[in-house]
Amino acid sequence: MEQATEFVQTPAISASARMRRRLRTFAEVVLPPTIFFGLAITAWQVYVTVKEIPTIIMPKPSEILARLLEDPHYFFIENGMVTFTEALSGFVIGSIAALMLAVFLARSRALERSIFPLAVVIRATPLIVIAPLLIIWFGYSIYPKIIMAALLCFFPVLVNTIIGLRSVSPTSLEFFHSVAASEWEILTRLRAPHALPYVLSAFKTAVTLSVIGAVVAEWSGAGEGLGRLIFWQASLLNQPSVFAAIVVLALMGVALTLMVAWLEKILLFWHESSLVG
Amino acid sequence: MATQDHIVIEQLDKIFTTGRGERQVQALDRLSLKIPDGHFFSVLGPSGCGKSTLLRIVGGLIEPTAGTVSIGNGSGPREAQRGKEIGFVFQEPGLLPWKTVTGNVETALELNNKANRPIQNTTQEMLELVGLEAFADAYPYQLSGGMQQRVAIARALCFDPRLLLMDEPFGALDAITRQMMRYELLRIWERAQKTVMFVTHSIPEAIVVSDAVAVLSPRPGRLRGVVEIDMPRPRTEEMERSQVFLEYADQLTRLLREGDDHGTSH
Repeated sequence: MEQATEFVQTPAISASARMRRRLRTFAEVVLPPTIFFGLAITAWQVYVTVKEIPTIIMPKPSEILARLLEDPHYFFIENGMVTFTEALSGFVIGSIAALMLAVFLARSRALERSIFPLAVVIRATPLIVIAPLLIIWFGYSIYPKIIMAALLCFFPVLVNTIIGLRSVSPTSLEFFHSVAASEWEILTRLRAPHALPYVLSAFKTAVTLSVIGAVVAEWSGAGEGLGRLIFWQASLLNQPSVFAAIVVLALMGVALTLMVAWLEKILLFWHESSLVG
Repeated sequence: MATQDHIVIEQLDKIFTTGRGERQVQALDRLSLKIPDGHFFSVLGPSGCGKSTLLRIVGGLIEPTAGTVSIGNGSGPREAQRGKEIGFVFQEPGLLPWKTVTGNVETALELNNKANRPIQNTTQEMLELVGLEAFADAYPYQLSGGMQQRVAIARALCFDPRLLLMDEPFGALDAITRQMMRYELLRIWERAQKTVMFVTHSIPEAIVVSDAVAVLSPRPGRLRGVVEIDMPRPRTEEMERSQVFLEYADQLTRLLREGDDHGTSH
């Protein structure tokens, strides 16, 4: 069969070749940003030390790290877990609601035409401005934070999922129609798997937004959480604590993004974007 | 020929309305055709002559403006669809990129499991038929265009429909692969024994594969004539250089140009 040669076969990788590839990945992907990050932190430390900038203006990285290690339980558990729970709950609730509405809207052109433009407008609105209202409505509890995070996640997931469900290959769709497939079969076997890359791409945006939503809602009124910690410590000019909380938030954002990236890697092995490299 | 007619198309009209209902385009004009059971029947015409529209009407994907299509024992396209009697192959493979070759065929089988055929055996049989048994676990992106189109053929044949509709299935392939796929298709067809309705704009392709070729005129699609191709089977590449072949090519070319005022092709 002459076409056989066109088949891109993955060669069996020997152990030593794999080792070499790992080393190369490390040298090309991991090493450069690590060096750059190290240099930036060092420059910060040196600059603040040499210029004798007071801590209440800009603390040294070493001071921030010392504060963080002084009481990791306070930063990571007492406050970090609160914000993490708010953000993750908001992300899960907002995303599930968006996915369900998207499936519902994708069924009918008329429904979609009436609701989709509104969704696009709301998506473009900085929704965090309603955080103070949520506090008025729901009090100082965890709920306004979850609602804020969920609202921020909802619209990007909704819009992307609808686009994903709609943009299936016309030929695939015609094939399903040519064998009289039901709407349910088309949804579960064609539209949903096709929409997956769109959904996961929205998830990546949404997890970051969920942390922003939780923090901003905490600023508007809360008893605990990293947002409230930052707001409170900043008013006391306790900059090392503010920065320590920011470091925890950054780590949280990275962890959530990695979680989605991992999900993407498992689910989208077939997708072109995961084939590069 | 004493065989029964599988498809009877009568007085088919199709008018497309575009641009907020202001413009109307007539794609098909009172088109009638009869396709005997088990025949390899081609529809030949230039781009925009409505041949794909005709195929989509027969396949129940779009409704005609007027006229009737009867498939088998007088059932309409939609009924034939529901009876899982139509296998459709399109210009693009349209495979599911997240499924392997096997998965793509299995999906089609699961959607069409009318006689509860054993899915695993049938899939394997189909992959052997189209010569892809070695690529059962490959994903579509790992296959060439020609191989993807073979999967599309396997997908259309796996649930054993009586009718195979093909809309320029090799149109997107390079010339060399295209040439090869003609004979590959004939080999499959000779084993599968289906009625095939094959849309193409290539004269040599139409002659090589067909028992009969219907020629359509452009805008609106009207039937210019049906030419029976009386060449022995199995067809071979040598036949493409025979005198009979050239005469058929000449006849079809003349039919295509008939009524063309400038007497030139475009």
